[in-house]
Amino acid sequence: MAESPFPLAAHSRSISPDTRHLLWSIAPGAIWIVIFLVLPSLYLIGVAFMTNGAYGQPQMPLTLDAFRQLAGFGFLGWSPGNLYTLLRSLWQTVVATGLVILIAYPLAYYISTCREKWRAIMLLAVVVPSWTNQVIRAFGWMNLLSPGTPMAETAQFLGLIPPNMGLYPSNFAVTLGLIYNFLPFMVLPLYAAFEKLDLSLVEAARDLYASPVSAFRHAVFPQTLAGLLAGTVLVSIPAFGMYVVPELLGGGRAMMLGNLVANQFAGGSNWPLGAAGALIMLLATLGGLYAMRKVGKRLGGGEEVVI
Amino acid sequence: MRTSRFRRGLALFWWLIVAFLYLPLAVIVFYSFNAANSAAYFAGFSLRWYQRLAHNDQLLGALSNSLILGIASSLIALIVGTLIGYGLYRHRARRLGWLIVLIYLPIVMPDIVFGISEMTFFVTLERHFGVLGPSLLTMIIAHVTFQLPFVALIVYSRFVGLDPTLFEAAKDLYASPWQRARHFLLPTLKPSLIAAFFLSFTLSVDDFVISFFTAGPENATLPIYIWGAIRRGVSPEINAIATLMIATVMLAAILSLLFNRRDRPGRDS
Repeated sequence: MAESPFPLAAHSRSISPDTRHLLWSIAPGAIWIVIFLVLPSLYLIGVAFMTNGAYGQPQMPLTLDAFRQLAGFGFLGWSPGNLYTLLRSLWQTVVATGLVILIAYPLAYYISTCREKWRAIMLLAVVVPSWTNQVIRAFGWMNLLSPGTPMAETAQFLGLIPPNMGLYPSNFAVTLGLIYNFLPFMVLPLYAAFEKLDLSLVEAARDLYASPVSAFRHAVFPQTLAGLLAGTVLVSIPAFGMYVVPELLGGGRAMMLGNLVANQFAGGSNWPLGAAGALIMLLATLGGLYAMRKVGKRLGGGEEVVI
Repeated sequence: MRTSRFRRGLALFWWLIVAFLYLPLAVIVFYSFNAANSAAYFAGFSLRWYQRLAHNDQLLGALSNSLILGIASSLIALIVGTLIGYGLYRHRARRLGWLIVLIYLPIVMPDIVFGISEMTFFVTLERHFGVLGPSLLTMIIAHVTFQLPFVALIVYSRFVGLDPTLFEAAKDLYASPWQRARHFLLPTLKPSLIAAFFLSFTLSVDDFVISFFTAGPENATLPIYIWGAIRRGVSPEINAIATLMIATVMLAAILSLLFNRRDRPGRDS
């Protein structure tokens, strides 16, 4: 990432007033981020390649042990636990992002067709729940899904879960929690796309006897693609690294990568393993951003909303 | 006919989603007034959980930690972030791609990776040099780090929206740099600075993951306290605190709606 934070230092023979201005305005913040974020993440990446010491502290010889453990090779031979966690994180991210798109798309369209004075209020109504703390939101779902509540009893009645059980902890509860958390992140960019929608294209399509479906496919959908991409980035990246929702709503059998990573530090058991997991997450984030940028560029537009 | 049925379907869908969004919050508010210690049945209206809150010293401590953390980090982020925003604008002609990447880094990094890298860094510093062990100070540092980009971007976008000739005009009138800052920059920036401060404060108070990993044992903030209470086993007191926090958010939402109305009638960005 920031390989050369200070390219200006290279030609410091005589600093022009303009450059001096640049330095004093930008240096404090840039140095702050370098010291308190770039260095710590580089250190964490380093830890991923170190040996796990006596108390879970990283020690010197550099190895790939942590990655081997992440792939399931432990003292007791191979076990798929960690790989399941990785795959589950991916799966939850894909499912939650897909469902969020399916919900947000008609919702954003509907908001954009309402009367102008209502739109701001409707958008606010969608966003406000996400202003409350995520721990509280997950707690709200715990209340709704626990045994004895109407939702859990309905599910029991339908035979979806055994009697006297709740709907949480479960993978279902985690998916629900992810959708709940990230819905606004998809609605906002999609709404922005729908608001700018050029309706004359749709009319032209209809005049040319396009069916509603093909009018949508050729006249509406391409215009909203940039918003869709932005929303996908905003939803899938934080969803993949989610910690609170699977921790509270998931329990041990619905663990995601974030929990695997956190456990290695919280219990003080294995920093290198945790760091290796964090590295995967970081790479996934960068890879996701990069892919979206590429796709966005090819489609034209979209770039400004991603970065 | 078909379109109107389509629209009615959409309207119904809208209300279903609104219900989905507010149900979990409504349940918390509802049970906070429950006379019984249960989340399964309602035994009558009571304020006993709220009365208990007032005597919960741990909770009040967490509240004050949250406020100190929020205010201190927002103030630092405001100063440093405004400088970056200004520098970015003044030197936008230069190739500052590396700086943009640096500024976006805290935004795109997953919370958990952010929190854990701060934690390992601080813990290691403490072990080897005896400084910066997990404490309120490390939390403030971590919070400033994720608030900075937001302040910088808000300030930058305010500058971009200005007429560039205004800067020339101030210079032509022989205003000293100090006078320019005092009579031109600060007044024009004031609304953005206020917005940036409140956004930073909100981000800080709302944050759980990063605080959780950088906090020392004595520095529980409100979300950390609630987390602990949930893990120890649910007490209806959590419903009462959570209700108060939800009420604060609702109040902020209503205020922001009123302010937006007043500032620019019609559309909201």
